[in-house]
Amino acid sequence: MPNKTQRFREKVLGFPNYFKHWIRDFKGGLTILSILGLLSFPLVTTNSYFLGLFILAMIYSIFAASWDLLAGFTGKVSFGHAIFLGISGYITAELLKYYNFHWLSALFFGVLASVLIGLGLGYMTLRLKGPYLALGTLVIGIICQKVFALNPLKPILHGDEGISGLPALSSSTVVIYYVVLIFMIITFIVLIRITKLNIGTLFKSIRDDEIGSEAAGINITKYKIIAFMISGSFAGLAGGLFTMFNRSISPLIFQPLYSFYAIIMAALGGLATISGSALGAFLFVFLTAIFVDFAEISLLIFSIILIIIIRFTSGGVLKPALERLKDLWDILLGR
Amino acid sequence: MIVEFLIYGLVQSSIYGLLAIGYSLVYGVGRILNLAHGAFYLLSAYIFYFTWSSLITVPGDFGFLFGMFITLILIVIIGMLLYLLLIKPLQDNEVGVMIGTFAVGFFAEQLVSVYEPRTQSISSIWNENFNILGVQVQLHQIIVIVASLLIIFILMTFINKARLGKSIRAVSQDREAASLMGINVNRVVMYTVMISAFLAGLAAVFYVPLDRVAPYLGWVVLTDSIAIVILGGMGSLKGSLIGAFILGYVRIYTVFFIHPLISTLMPIIVLIIILLLRPRGLFGKKEID
Repeated sequence: MPNKTQRFREKVLGFPNYFKHWIRDFKGGLTILSILGLLSFPLVTTNSYFLGLFILAMIYSIFAASWDLLAGFTGKVSFGHAIFLGISGYITAELLKYYNFHWLSALFFGVLASVLIGLGLGYMTLRLKGPYLALGTLVIGIICQKVFALNPLKPILHGDEGISGLPALSSSTVVIYYVVLIFMIITFIVLIRITKLNIGTLFKSIRDDEIGSEAAGINITKYKIIAFMISGSFAGLAGGLFTMFNRSISPLIFQPLYSFYAIIMAALGGLATISGSALGAFLFVFLTAIFVDFAEISLLIFSIILIIIIRFTSGGVLKPALERLKDLWDILLGR
Repeated sequence: MIVEFLIYGLVQSSIYGLLAIGYSLVYGVGRILNLAHGAFYLLSAYIFYFTWSSLITVPGDFGFLFGMFITLILIVIIGMLLYLLLIKPLQDNEVGVMIGTFAVGFFAEQLVSVYEPRTQSISSIWNENFNILGVQVQLHQIIVIVASLLIIFILMTFINKARLGKSIRAVSQDREAASLMGINVNRVVMYTVMISAFLAGLAAVFYVPLDRVAPYLGWVVLTDSIAIVILGGMGSLKGSLIGAFILGYVRIYTVFFIHPLISTLMPIIVLIIILLLRPRGLFGKKEID
């Protein structure tokens, strides 16, 4: 049996070959193209509005992907993912504004807090299944919103107005863009890798049959909590980035609306496909951006479009879109 | 004070009862978490308002009564459409149904905001006041209490005795077996959604003259309904009714004796407590009875 060192060497030495094959193959090629596209976008335009849209989409895709890991892969559909956004955001904001932390350390502590929240939430919801889990998390989110907005708690939690006037990450939107892009790439690499490792299969088995998994000897309590913690950490990352991008935070971040954003984006792209979340996030952000200019009826039209998309692509837009693109790819390569 | 508390509590509980039973029925029959339940209430409230305000110049009580009538008819049709167009195609995809119905709730809120974003109110035609045990009680309140309880009673009898009612119970117990017995499951679920919409519409036409018309009401109604149904136990109509009374009185108690602003928070607090301590609620079980 090859020992660990030998296997490691094989992996490292074999990487260039692996990489070559991965790019040639469809999914890899597409991913590389998208990454290159995103990398070169600021070269096309430095307009902060457009850059801002992309930044927002990237932050949301981290958020949605984290939700997808928990819901699509582990089967724990939470309606309160905004809790992570908010807690991490508040910690990041507090450290940035009142304690003058460097943004990286503020972000780090925000993520740390989210991991702990993930631990807590995971533990609290161990016994809840299906609709109860969804509602429980929804409700905790609403309570967070109301608690953080309470006047008596203003000295600690800043009440209705939240924290504003945070220092910008950098004066250049382009720099912010690349920072967020790097975090997004790291997030996706890590999350997709997780789904392909043993632990990913463990999550899936919990999703498909909890009782059976437990009977097979898997410690489902441990892995359920781990899933919450991993998912929470990335959601917290998104929260910290979101807060820093907006340079402010308020109790509104806990609204069920943001939790639903994660669900909608992940579902649009396709559940249980981490990469779908990116697609869903971008699609969602672009759709809202297109319609925001039509004032009143914009949200109305947007909600209609949402209904139509959900109605007709229940598996998410990613899979059918990939099929079409794959055919195109084959044609291009002359197969 | 006490008498007022008892009566207002009764009104709130009756309205909650109508909403909760409708919601519980749909969940029991189709395992559907209808996030558009609030939208049923909201749309009913606005259809009622629109009709009433358009016909306000017509003498007599015509606008009000016709408004109620047309609202109930329309909301039942809307319920049917919701089922056929959105719920049925997405049956196998639980998350899809939740997102879809949520999107409808969102859509409803936007739709009514475009029509009339300001908070409005409707005055009841039954606004004579009675003096009961020293408290001024509006006739409307009495009508609401009596009518709601009557309707709930009729509904319970219907569920137990009528053919469709029994089909509803059968489908909630075992979908496959029911269809093997010749019950058209899809039809039954559709009728259940329509009944649920009707009850929500009823709650709206009863409560709006006592409360208000505003775009955000949909979400409040939804969370309250969910809280009641979980408190009573998903799938148990008896539980929903009892939950409605408990929560109704808790709410009114908070308004009267604690602080009015916290009252909207109460259903949520109750929900959390229940989920942490006894998720299945008071009488929770899978089938309807």
